Amino acid sequence: MNVAMPDLTVDRVTVRFGGLVAVDDVSLHAPAGTITGLIGPNGAGKTTTFNACTGLVSASSGSVRLGEESLNHRGPATRASRGLGRTFQRMELFDSMTVKENVALGPESLFSSRHPWGQLFSPRRETRNIEERARAAMELCEIAELSRRIAGDLSTGQRRLVELARAVASPFRFLLLDEPSSGLDVHETERFGEILVAFVAETGMGILLVEHDMSLVSSVCSTIYVLDFGRLIFYGSTAETLASDVVQAAYLGSEGTGGDHAHVAGSAHA
Amino acid sequence: MWGVPSVNDLGPVIVTGISDGAVYAICALGLVLTYKTSGVFNFAHGAVAAASAYVFYQFRDRDHMPWGLAAVLALLVVGVIGGLLLERMSYALAEAPTVMRVVATVGLLVGLDSLLTAIYGASTIAFKNFLPQSPTRVGGVNIAASDFITLALAIVATVGLYLFFKRSRLGVAMQAVVDDPDLLSMQGISPVVVRRLAWTIGSCFASVSGMLLAPEIGINVSYLILLIIVAYGAAAIGLFSNLPLTFAGGIIIGVGINVLGQELSGSHSIAILSLAPNLPFLVLFAVMLFVPSRLLIEQGVRRVRRLRPMPTFKPQTVGVSMACFALLAIIVPLVAPAYDINDYTAGLAFAVLFMSLALLTWTSGQISLCQMAFAAVGASTFGHALAAGFPWLLALLVAGLIAMPMGALVAIPAIRLSGIYLAIATFGFGILVERLFFTSFLMFGNQYAIRTPRPHLLGLNLTGDKGYYYVTLSLTALCCVLVLLVRRSRLGRLLRGLADSPTALAAHGANTTITRVFVFCISAFLAGIGGALLAGVTQSGSEATYDFSVSLAMIAVLAFCWRLPILSPFIAAFLYQVLQVYPFFRDATVLKYDGVAFGILAIGVAVWPGLGSIRSSGRAQERDQRGSPVLARSAPVHREKVLT
Repeated sequence: MNVAMPDLTVDRVTVRFGGLVAVDDVSLHAPAGTITGLIGPNGAGKTTTFNACTGLVSASSGSVRLGEESLNHRGPATRASRGLGRTFQRMELFDSMTVKENVALGPESLFSSRHPWGQLFSPRRETRNIEERARAAMELCEIAELSRRIAGDLSTGQRRLVELARAVASPFRFLLLDEPSSGLDVHETERFGEILVAFVAETGMGILLVEHDMSLVSSVCSTIYVLDFGRLIFYGSTAETLASDVVQAAYLGSEGTGGDHAHVAGSAHA
Repeated sequence: MWGVPSVNDLGPVIVTGISDGAVYAICALGLVLTYKTSGVFNFAHGAVAAASAYVFYQFRDRDHMPWGLAAVLALLVVGVIGGLLLERMSYALAEAPTVMRVVATVGLLVGLDSLLTAIYGASTIAFKNFLPQSPTRVGGVNIAASDFITLALAIVATVGLYLFFKRSRLGVAMQAVVDDPDLLSMQGISPVVVRRLAWTIGSCFASVSGMLLAPEIGINVSYLILLIIVAYGAAAIGLFSNLPLTFAGGIIIGVGINVLGQELSGSHSIAILSLAPNLPFLVLFAVMLFVPSRLLIEQGVRRVRRLRPMPTFKPQTVGVSMACFALLAIIVPLVAPAYDINDYTAGLAFAVLFMSLALLTWTSGQISLCQMAFAAVGASTFGHALAAGFPWLLALLVAGLIAMPMGALVAIPAIRLSGIYLAIATFGFGILVERLFFTSFLMFGNQYAIRTPRPHLLGLNLTGDKGYYYVTLSLTALCCVLVLLVRRSRLGRLLRGLADSPTALAAHGANTTITRVFVFCISAFLAGIGGALLAGVTQSGSEATYDFSVSLAMIAVLAFCWRLPILSPFIAAFLYQVLQVYPFFRDATVLKYDGVAFGILAIGVAVWPGLGSIRSSGRAQERDQRGSPVLARSAPVHREKVLT
């Protein structure tokens, strides 16, 4: 572990789109050095929660903190420069660029905001730092051999890895990963999980993971939060979550037995 | 001076304003309708209206048909057939990036403008009224029957469309078709029928407004297009989506122009006098600057296919090609006839202008339809600086630098808005600058031109055509170096990232606001330099050279010259400016139709990737038109890299 990494705290965040409450009073705590899961059926509000965390949508109420620092009322770029990075469910790659350029532009974007003329000039030291970060990230994500390929020409699985490498290469302190294994096959997903675990162990960084692949979630996450219709319906350890009737009901549409009230959202959490 | 006018003074003016406003409203309703249902903002809407006026004139005045029959035929030819053709174009553009949607409709505008001018000439044709003019006295004011008819038409159109959208299933379907036509077909409603209906209605509205305006201003394609652009202001008041507000916007603008015109008519200031006719552009630009961006929802961007990356070339290939090109450019004045050298020089100046546009459009994904406004600022500043005794090169530098704040000003809507609204904002801005400032003392003055003598540099007299060619060539080369430096710098990488995914760029910490300001400033600088160099060709910068229509033609031409940062601007400049030195292209007929060729090529490039989807889904569409939900679902859909 290099430096102390911050936790991510989402405190009673609500997001409204007109009359629709997309995220309703959601609180969660994702500690550094662990992978925390955020699951739920389609339309549960997972990506909207991510968007509220990163400033892509404005929360109607509630707060987001990275460590002790409040990120409220800040734009996406400022939140990123404070160390909150993310990937996207619908991938946002620089399609006309090579893989190497994509990965390098992650940290370069962040360095460019450090001083007023940072977009015009790149000090040689920073350039070397960026190149080193890009190389290490591509090796970690096992895409070094794709470095000269144009990102727009890659398969979905490869593109996922490029997006992860770009996030990993950037000097973020906490990562939000939005369905990163979508498009990967079983073996790739397994390997992807190993990469994530190794990355967290090495850097001490926290990850909040939105994922539908429950095998990946159960293998890498220590704690899981479950959303349904914008509300937090359950949180607990991986084993507790998988055994929960409430979660089963949300995913499968059956009625829960209500036997796990202690973990139902709304209890004294966050 | 600013006394309160009496109702009797303003009554006739207000009536005229309402009547004019009703025409703007009809036109704007058509524009908003097609935009809402297709996501394609038709910059050629005014050209469609102008075409209708010409067809009406052809049938009524040249072929001596009764006006009613002539009007119906004009409506049929331009409104219905034109609308159906436009629907095909918009379908091919359904998944095209915004820049290509702009290119296609701007190409259509350029092409129609050129075609109508080639057939009917550029001078205004008198056009007598066809609606009854008998006056009725209402509240002490005489109102012509034609005014009543026009207003009634506008009200019926607005109420009819409003109810259609709110109450009818087809109206609701029209609003849905832009986002998900496949889903619509699964509901048993044919998206093709819906789109065709929308475009036919929209074009018919344009057609009617063109015919109604013709008696007011005569038949002149430029005037008609410009007057119809007034409707953009009305559409802006309706936020490009709200029909009743659009109608109200048309009336407000019509009354505003007439009342302001009356009230300010006593002023001796050209700037104040020009406020009234430019009210719509002020409104348009104000909406773009101040209305919250969340209210300006870009239609039809849920299904956008990104542009394919351009092929990259080996450094050796690029190096050898550039060396050959530089050699060719150096020997041009030695082999070309003396009377052609100025055309080549103008071509180099245009290459700089195209470079400024390519940097914005292809490198950073921003859209500008006001490059010639930057160029005009550069040219006029250059003239003023030379007149003030600045050394020639310093004056040129100042020309570029003064254009930069204008670039920053245009960057404001670019920061707030994106895509089509940026295009509309820059379009309005270009016209506004031209009409408010070109003839002011700050720019070309009331002589419409400013002296821009050629230089003596390093003890050399470079005032001759050959000398000035080499000066321009050297400075163009420096501009190329600047563009290459920008592209290879961190800013260049950020600009490419901005073009591909501004969201990802911001999510990684880049301040995209600064990136946009930088690129607009650099682009304006280059355009300012290009404009000043162009002024040096004739040694007199004339406001006509920097007409807003040139900005439109430029983006149309650049679109079909690939998307390379250096080579494309030179190809575009060659086609736009230099080709006419060759005998075949110097022919009067060919020259008359060059805009038509540019327009067709621009449309072709924009719709080409979407043509496959039209062909492949042709049979499915036939079934789809019969409203078979099951079969329609199986229609092959062209979707690659679908984005939201």
